[in-house]
Amino acid sequence: MDLLSNKWIVYLALCLFVAGINCNSVENKIYVKLNYTVPCVRLLNSTHQIGCQSSLSGDVGVLHVLESEENLDFVLRNGRNPPYMVIMESSLFTRSVMMKLKNGSSRVAGVAVVEPTSNPPDGFSPHTRCPNENTGVYSENYGPGLAHCNTTKWNPLGNGLSYEEFDFPIFSMKDDNDTQLIRQCYMDHNRPMNGSDPQYPLCAMQLSSHMSAVTSTPTCMRRNSISFSMSNDMVCDPLSDQNIWAPSKPLNTTQNGHKANESVIIVSARLDSRSFFSEIGPGAESAASGLITLLAAAHALRNATQDAQLDRTIFYTFFHGETFDYIGSSKMVYDMEKNQFPIDLDNVHSVLEIGQVGLHSSSNLWLHTDPVSMRNSSIQEEVKNLIANLKSAAAGLNVSVTEPGVTQPLPPSSFQRFLRARPFPGVVIEDYNSSFSNKYFQSMFDNADSLNVLYPPNLTPEEQLNHVTNTAKSLAEVATTVARALFIQAGGEKTQISSIKADELMVSRMLYSFLISSNNSWTQEIVGLKDVVHLNNNTVNFYISVEQQASLPTILVKYLLANLTGTAVNVTQENCKNQKESEDDKESKHLYNYFWVPGAAPPNSTERDGFCVRSTVHWSRAISPAFLMENYTTSEYSTWTESRWKEIKGRIFLVASHDLEMLTLGVGIGVLLSSLLLTYIMSSKADILFSSGREPTSATY
Amino acid sequence: MNLERLPNEEKLTLCRKYYLGGFALLPFLWLVNVVWFFKEAFLKPPFTEQTQIKTYVKRSALGLLFWVTVLTTWITIYQHFRAQWGEVGDYLSFTIPLGTP
Repeated sequence: MDLLSNKWIVYLALCLFVAGINCNSVENKIYVKLNYTVPCVRLLNSTHQIGCQSSLSGDVGVLHVLESEENLDFVLRNGRNPPYMVIMESSLFTRSVMMKLKNGSSRVAGVAVVEPTSNPPDGFSPHTRCPNENTGVYSENYGPGLAHCNTTKWNPLGNGLSYEEFDFPIFSMKDDNDTQLIRQCYMDHNRPMNGSDPQYPLCAMQLSSHMSAVTSTPTCMRRNSISFSMSNDMVCDPLSDQNIWAPSKPLNTTQNGHKANESVIIVSARLDSRSFFSEIGPGAESAASGLITLLAAAHALRNATQDAQLDRTIFYTFFHGETFDYIGSSKMVYDMEKNQFPIDLDNVHSVLEIGQVGLHSSSNLWLHTDPVSMRNSSIQEEVKNLIANLKSAAAGLNVSVTEPGVTQPLPPSSFQRFLRARPFPGVVIEDYNSSFSNKYFQSMFDNADSLNVLYPPNLTPEEQLNHVTNTAKSLAEVATTVARALFIQAGGEKTQISSIKADELMVSRMLYSFLISSNNSWTQEIVGLKDVVHLNNNTVNFYISVEQQASLPTILVKYLLANLTGTAVNVTQENCKNQKESEDDKESKHLYNYFWVPGAAPPNSTERDGFCVRSTVHWSRAISPAFLMENYTTSEYSTWTESRWKEIKGRIFLVASHDLEMLTLGVGIGVLLSSLLLTYIMSSKADILFSSGREPTSATY
Repeated sequence: MNLERLPNEEKLTLCRKYYLGGFALLPFLWLVNVVWFFKEAFLKPPFTEQTQIKTYVKRSALGLLFWVTVLTTWITIYQHFRAQWGEVGDYLSFTIPLGTP
């Protein structure tokens, strides 16, 4: 008896074990998980929410491959099996299609956009036509005629999709195996055959991107801070990162506030971009062109600023988060006003900003100035002086510089945030006159192709890294112009400028690192060991994101700037990490920053020769002052936050018809009820049922 | 506890205890009282303490009704208007479901 029961237990355990394994494989048999899922996420500002979200458990819909805009009728009206999950080529990802889907959203479960392999020839920009319309300098009080892009729309191709709110998930997918599988599944199950509706089972897709934050930044920041809640979940985080800056001569950075006898020329570029999808932000022209030019100019000026004693300090500055209502520049101006920065606004002599300078098939740079502050004669004189310096710097180079009409306002630029504080002389360098020449402003197509960074076929990655493209040549020319102009502006001798020249190879390598692959032999030499892990083989994503994540553009610019403007010093690794040159050095850390970088490996060894780089590179938090003041309803500062989420995933599977599902459920409930009934009858009639053959004996077990 | 085995006097004491306990903002005691003593109060053949038990059960039922009305009204109002109240609504809430206004 004992033996028998043991045997049964073993069998039972075995059965359960096998059943457990089968459960897993059943899930795998039902669902196919998508590997590459890039969602559009929810962002919030003081009044609105933008972006996309699914329901808590993910939205499920029957797959429909959209072939043309007319085909929308099927999704929005004729189709018998709503809601639909719409798969489309990116050529259909237009405002008109998306707004129709948004308005018919009860029949739309979600949208998946397939990334194309080439850029749309007519251009595409999901940004607004007037970027950062309300947080620039122009308003009812400052050049009212120029406010809200009254005189010119800077981004005429902008369709504003990035700033719409969708209540269904939208994902981006690569044209790869997954997409092939989805198409196959659609072809096999969902395609209407000769006019009749397809039969069940149908192919369906589930997309999950549930967003925790809702309504607006004031709401989500309040819910972040409510502490007596059971689940103390944060729901959103402010967009923030770091501004990077380096003065051309060492400044004591631990003492904040006004520096006596210090006159500074701020030369800046922006460090961020975005697109509709959060993880794709190539920003080739909108961010990379300007910041690479600035890095190259800083490199070209390294020796000149060290040799010549210049009257003014050049302040290389990279502002982060400018796309989202000037987060970086407004923070730096705020810090300068509050004496929380090594210099203050009185120290600033002038501002030179490098915007989008990709030079699409032209060699013309436009010098934009602010007509309102130029009404002041002293400002006007300084601006004229700066323009004259730029013109004399461009002489003999392959670029020409032109001024736009005097009544034209500044394009969207960080300089506008300085002008909000007080009038400054300043110039913004762009490659366009009255509207962007970039056809893909802040879209996923603003990539190496759009900037014409093309390599001859059959080059190895190493050869591509060192291949000097035409874009690199023209960016180097721009950088040379900027460097020479800065040298004159800082008080250098005009006769010496011919020796200042940007390095085309450096520009090529930077273009490759930002636009093609940040993980290459060059970056591995110059990026510090603790940050090397962040390098990858993809295009750099310029979306600012939230503070918790180390952002790749910031890391790259930090080390590039250090290597291109700093010097290698003979300091041990230990001292280098502790920011000192010798054991009892306590002063250097106030002036310099020390990075230990891996360096190159000698030819016959795999061990790299690390060394210490001393530079004046510093960084400060780029977060909107609204979050420091805890004033989330302000219209003066950026209030953008990003929602948190738990899970982003997508999967496809076959669904049965609604009737069949209901029938299965009904049968299940029926079986349950009848078994309950049966049990009841049996227990109530137990004495009749079980006592028939046997005498009712007193139990003697 | 089985009421059947209890002498009538103890039934009355128990019923009174539950009735009085309900006043300490414990409407569930009243609910228990009503359910538990309903048979004793209205269905059983008359006994001396029955009239008093009847009163207590009736009053408990009345109190229970009051609570149910008040709570239902408040919950309806709260669920309906929480999002509109904004800040006040959030501070009134113990947990706020993620991703809803």
